[in-house]
Amino acid sequence: MLRRFFKFLIRISSFMSKELTEIIRQPKLILTLVFGPFLIMFLFGLGYPNQNRTLRTTFVAEDPSSIQGDMKLFTDSIPAIADQDIENNKELALAKLALNQTDLVILIPKDPFGTVQNNQQAKFIIYHNEVDPFQIGYINSVARIYTDEVNRRILQTITEQGQQGAGAVQGNLENAITKTRALKQAIPPGDTNAATQVNELEKDLATVHEQLTTFRGMGSDVLVSPFTVDTVPLSNIEFTPTDFFAPAVIVLLLQHLSITFASLSIVREHRSGIIELFRVAPITAFETLVGKFLSYLLFEILLAGVITFLAIWLLKIPMFGSWINYAIAVVILLFTSLGVGFLISLISETDTQAVQYSMLLLLASIFFSGFFLDLRLMWQPIKVLAWSLPATYGIRMLQDVMLRGASVPPLMVEGLALIGIGLFLVNWFILRRKMEA
Amino acid sequence: MNLTKTKSQSGDVVDAQELTKVFGEEVAVNALTMKVPRGTIFGFIGPSGCGKTTTVRLLTGIYKPTSGQVTVLGKQPIHFSKSDQEKIGYLIQSFVLYPELTVWENLNFAASFYGVSLFRHGRLNKLLEFVELREDKRKLARALSGGMKRRLSLAATLVHNPELLFLDEPTAGIDPLLRRKFWDYFKELQKQGHSLFITTQYVGEAAYCDLVGVMYEGKLLMVESPEGLRRKAYGGDIIGIRTTELIRYENRKKLESLPFVRGKVKVIGDQEIEITVDEANTAMPALMEVAKAERLNVEKIEQISPPFDDVFVRLIEKEAANVA
Repeated sequence: MLRRFFKFLIRISSFMSKELTEIIRQPKLILTLVFGPFLIMFLFGLGYPNQNRTLRTTFVAEDPSSIQGDMKLFTDSIPAIADQDIENNKELALAKLALNQTDLVILIPKDPFGTVQNNQQAKFIIYHNEVDPFQIGYINSVARIYTDEVNRRILQTITEQGQQGAGAVQGNLENAITKTRALKQAIPPGDTNAATQVNELEKDLATVHEQLTTFRGMGSDVLVSPFTVDTVPLSNIEFTPTDFFAPAVIVLLLQHLSITFASLSIVREHRSGIIELFRVAPITAFETLVGKFLSYLLFEILLAGVITFLAIWLLKIPMFGSWINYAIAVVILLFTSLGVGFLISLISETDTQAVQYSMLLLLASIFFSGFFLDLRLMWQPIKVLAWSLPATYGIRMLQDVMLRGASVPPLMVEGLALIGIGLFLVNWFILRRKMEA
Repeated sequence: MNLTKTKSQSGDVVDAQELTKVFGEEVAVNALTMKVPRGTIFGFIGPSGCGKTTTVRLLTGIYKPTSGQVTVLGKQPIHFSKSDQEKIGYLIQSFVLYPELTVWENLNFAASFYGVSLFRHGRLNKLLEFVELREDKRKLARALSGGMKRRLSLAATLVHNPELLFLDEPTAGIDPLLRRKFWDYFKELQKQGHSLFITTQYVGEAAYCDLVGVMYEGKLLMVESPEGLRRKAYGGDIIGIRTTELIRYENRKKLESLPFVRGKVKVIGDQEIEITVDEANTAMPALMEVAKAERLNVEKIEQISPPFDDVFVRLIEKEAANVA
């Protein structure tokens, strides 16, 4: 029994040492695997500072010297609108837009105040030349912010004018109050009805005066925008794009490397013909699979360790959670990704086919794992596809651990582990058929 | 160099009865019946595509027979246990080991997947010495020549000290000198007690075997010793005679009338003939006497061994004639 167990261990070790030696024999590959992901994250951090895009904007006003022309000044508090220029020729402005010399063309409505006084809304028309739906969404947001700002500024001006007008009204009120007091004294004693009425008038006038004082004393900006908002993250930390994407990049890279390594592993052996030798030898499909799993798992864990160390140490990616939670998430992610890779390897006829499948899976992971598109926005049936990808679980888990400082959600761990175990069993079944058929 | 401690046992290591393998409509192996005695070198000869590799795969348990029975080391190959598999070594036609591993690492890998004990350093070195690769053990397999790769494959096949070796075309595509060396290895392995089942398309290699099975278009035409094959091909032993005088028609007729002479006397030249006889050893003295009586002065008399290529062609022609 013990002898059998030792032989089992020896057979497993054959694949462990073989696979690891083959990888170690390629130092350039190892360097690329370690420093490639780090370099990508580093360049990403350099290339994407935490700033919104500034839009070069051209205003079109038929008479730039009129109030139309002042509209462009209302952009001073909107950093997204910059490099303002004003034209009086719409066609010329649109030509600049077509030539990418400007990002936005804002058509200021003709006689806006006249339009409003006629009880109609004056409309800005904003032209852009974007095709990216996300950029179009961004421009729509900027357009809304700009319109709100214009409305606010105009209301503020009107309010200030109203406050000035209220000063004159208040003077008149004071006169009226003085006259009311004189009138009160002139009422003959016993005419209680008249006295009561004059008293009420005096009180009303005093109330209106007091309200006008309050109105005049308030800032016009408070009157126009009584509410403002601050968004505060629970962790009270503002993450840069690099911070946010780093866990997802680590997950995506580890998944892709595991799948690529594993997907080429068995298909190559099948092509070379050594599987025929395994079929005659006393090695089983289980021993082969366990040996291969352990070797790649060991290598990938080391790789994940180095990549994580570089990300935390050099790129200063935050790590608020516990390292045990991080390790659990990474090991289960690698185990399941290797299962996907071995499945590809077992169903592929050639190396090229295996590589193509791996690339397709990478593409699917980029789009469906929540790497840059929020899963919550996804159509429900497509979410099934998303949750069949190891990266979807991995990204959630690593973001929770690294950025929120939370534990790995048990449902994620169990779900991913279940997929991994299922894949192992399927791979074992297929390899058995291949080796023992 | 002794690599093994194989116990001497008797009996047949392979026993096939009416073994047949059909792929779709193609009959790859057709009712093959043969026995391979323990301790022999059994050569399995035939042209490319005649069913040699399919037979090896049936004998190693890779393929399940369509019909017929086969036992190898007393067990049906498709029901081999792990311990049965440990008694078998299999050398595949092409080089299937790992080019990115060194000679030593490849051998170590093979030893591991056969479950050989971890205290195997000495044995692996002996094997490398046996196949003359000890000096090259740190070389990557991809840097080896074709012949060295074959020797490495052979060493990997021997790593677990199997009783029975199936070697599928071990000498294909290598130069004649190295081929000869391989046969020296095989003879050495036989001396150490291994049984060898070797397929080859080099008909000349039949001479190195104890028994030869001739395969043609899925059929096993015969199993014979190398000499037996010659006899089958030519109907007996061939004796060449050269005289100092002209060998006349009457002389030839006289020789053909002898009871141990088979068929017609073949004329090689005016003073040279070839005669097929039942048994060369007994026929030669009798022929000398007849020549003397015919007043022919024999300058040279010897048994002729026709090359196995000719033997094989003759056997195939006979088979074709039988089928026709």
